[in-house]
Amino acid sequence: MDIFSGLLSGFQIVFQPVNFLYCFAGVFIGTLIGVLPGIGPTGAMAMLLPTTFGLSPVSSLIILAGIFYGAQYGGSTTSILVNIPGEASSIVTTLDGYQMARQGRAGPALGIAAFGSLIGGTFSVIGLMFLALPLAEIAVAFGPPEYFSLICLTMILSVYLSRGSLFKSFIMIITGLILSTVGMDPISGKTRFTFGCGTLIDGIGLVPAAMGLFGISEVLMNLEESLERVIFKAKIKNLLPNLEDWKKSIGPISRGTLLGFPLGILPGGGAIIASFVSYALEKRISKTPERFGHGAIEGVAGPETANNAAAGGSFIPVLALGIPPNVVMAILMGALIINGITPGPLMLNQYPEVFWGVVASMYLGNIILLLLNLPLIGLWVKLLKVPYRILMPLILLFCLIGSYSLNNNVVEVIIMIIFGVAGYVLRKFDFEVAPLMVAFILGPIWENSWRQSLVMSDGKFSIFLEKPISLVTLAVATLVIINALIKYYRKKKRRFIFE
Amino acid sequence: MSQSRIIVSLFWIGLGVFVMIFSYKLGLGRFSNPDSGLMSFLLGLILVLLSLYSLVISLLKKSGEEGPPKEARSQTNYGKIALVLVALVMYSFILEKLGFVITTWIFLFLLFRSMGNRWITTLIGSTFTVLATYLVFTFFGVRFPPGIFR
Repeated sequence: MDIFSGLLSGFQIVFQPVNFLYCFAGVFIGTLIGVLPGIGPTGAMAMLLPTTFGLSPVSSLIILAGIFYGAQYGGSTTSILVNIPGEASSIVTTLDGYQMARQGRAGPALGIAAFGSLIGGTFSVIGLMFLALPLAEIAVAFGPPEYFSLICLTMILSVYLSRGSLFKSFIMIITGLILSTVGMDPISGKTRFTFGCGTLIDGIGLVPAAMGLFGISEVLMNLEESLERVIFKAKIKNLLPNLEDWKKSIGPISRGTLLGFPLGILPGGGAIIASFVSYALEKRISKTPERFGHGAIEGVAGPETANNAAAGGSFIPVLALGIPPNVVMAILMGALIINGITPGPLMLNQYPEVFWGVVASMYLGNIILLLLNLPLIGLWVKLLKVPYRILMPLILLFCLIGSYSLNNNVVEVIIMIIFGVAGYVLRKFDFEVAPLMVAFILGPIWENSWRQSLVMSDGKFSIFLEKPISLVTLAVATLVIINALIKYYRKKKRRFIFE
Repeated sequence: MSQSRIIVSLFWIGLGVFVMIFSYKLGLGRFSNPDSGLMSFLLGLILVLLSLYSLVISLLKKSGEEGPPKEARSQTNYGKIALVLVALVMYSFILEKLGFVITTWIFLFLLFRSMGNRWITTLIGSTFTVLATYLVFTFFGVRFPPGIFR
């Protein structure tokens, strides 16, 4: 199927009333999640996963994807108006966005964030369309050795690119892989680490684990501090940026698009890293860097474009290869697997309607988001005021219902609570839980491809070096490790001299 | 700081050893022909080695110098956290006995009230939420335990 007819069929799917509704619902919930405190897109997607089981695969993907990129829009609203990022990828937007709001320019800040998001989002969908298909065509020839090496590289890169300590991220990856071995071994049929619990024979469920780590533990973290917000009280007017604003923003928006898209494809931070890199870049090349942090519109336009461009880019590895680059995509992939579709190169041939439907829904969703966020900004500002003491019990209830209704099994609720406590303790000790989740999803594929490769080669490890793609991937992975070690020792040395 | 790092390292070492023991029991096979336990055994081993390295570093630091003075602990609201956890655990234990409607109502009432909402908000909020979620989720085909309404 060529791109034109594929896209046409995609739009036919999206404009079916049901799917249109799901697209709308997805981006609406996404914006809501972005605006509300205490719950991010990962937790929200995990919470809503059970309600999508009854839908067709394409519908469930449309709604989940909508939540993801919708949250990027909503997150910027709180950054600008309240100085609290609704979402990790809007952290940098607080620097200049909130300052603009204080200077009475909340309108243009919100406006340029929305337009930048639309432009970045739309171009990244175009990129996704043109890149995913050729990549999938190459990837059809991939066997277990290639998958083993690619997943190695994905995990190493996600450690390397993580924000916190490399050491801690690495421990999280290992823990995620260990957790992924729980349940029946698909090759020998032995059960591992179930300790007599029947529910664990199929492995630890994705939904209770994700809800615990990203829903419950988030609530527990928020309970520590009061989340009373000081909302900017000025009237929001002139949502459309003027000519001067556009002149200043057009450079940051185009650079943000070009920068965000490839960064989204890379494993690890995705949208978060893209927004930080874009901000740093704009500040560096600006002729008046001193304006940054005091309400420079470039500091809003660049990062807000970059994070949406990255959101689109991150769909490529999961749709074309079946390897999720970040935790949100890992949950999306889990949704596909539960629907009986294995994401990856074969999916594009077997279920083209899923791919094209989602791509088309992203064009549509980005436009709906612009309409939702600009004319209806007042509604979101009202929702900003919902106090956490009302929200918190509701978030917990949704987690409880979500984990129970999967299989009507209380054990899954208990698993969720355990993961919630574990996630809370890990966060307290500065361990990031996102790499754990990525490794948890990739673990079974990784182990199987390892063991299948060895069966193929009669137990010879040279198979990983004989296949050219696998060899190159492993070489890159090795280089990344060497680079990380050099950096680590330099830092140690410098600290030693300093002391 | 250093103290907590030692405890954390010890925890990961413990977890790693635990995983290694159970993986060994599952059967390791050979490198060229791995059995069910080999991967988790190796992962456990990496975990132990990494944490040992971290432990040694923190111990060396500690014996060398006293380390920075203890940071003033910020006021953490452990009471509320404990309350939420107890509520969650209680919910999962009584859900199938009392049924969705009653259990959820008690759960919400308790949390709304203890978060500092007024009585009237608590009462209306929990009643409305129970009814709304029951209707919406039943509409989507979710079956809740009927409990005593059987």
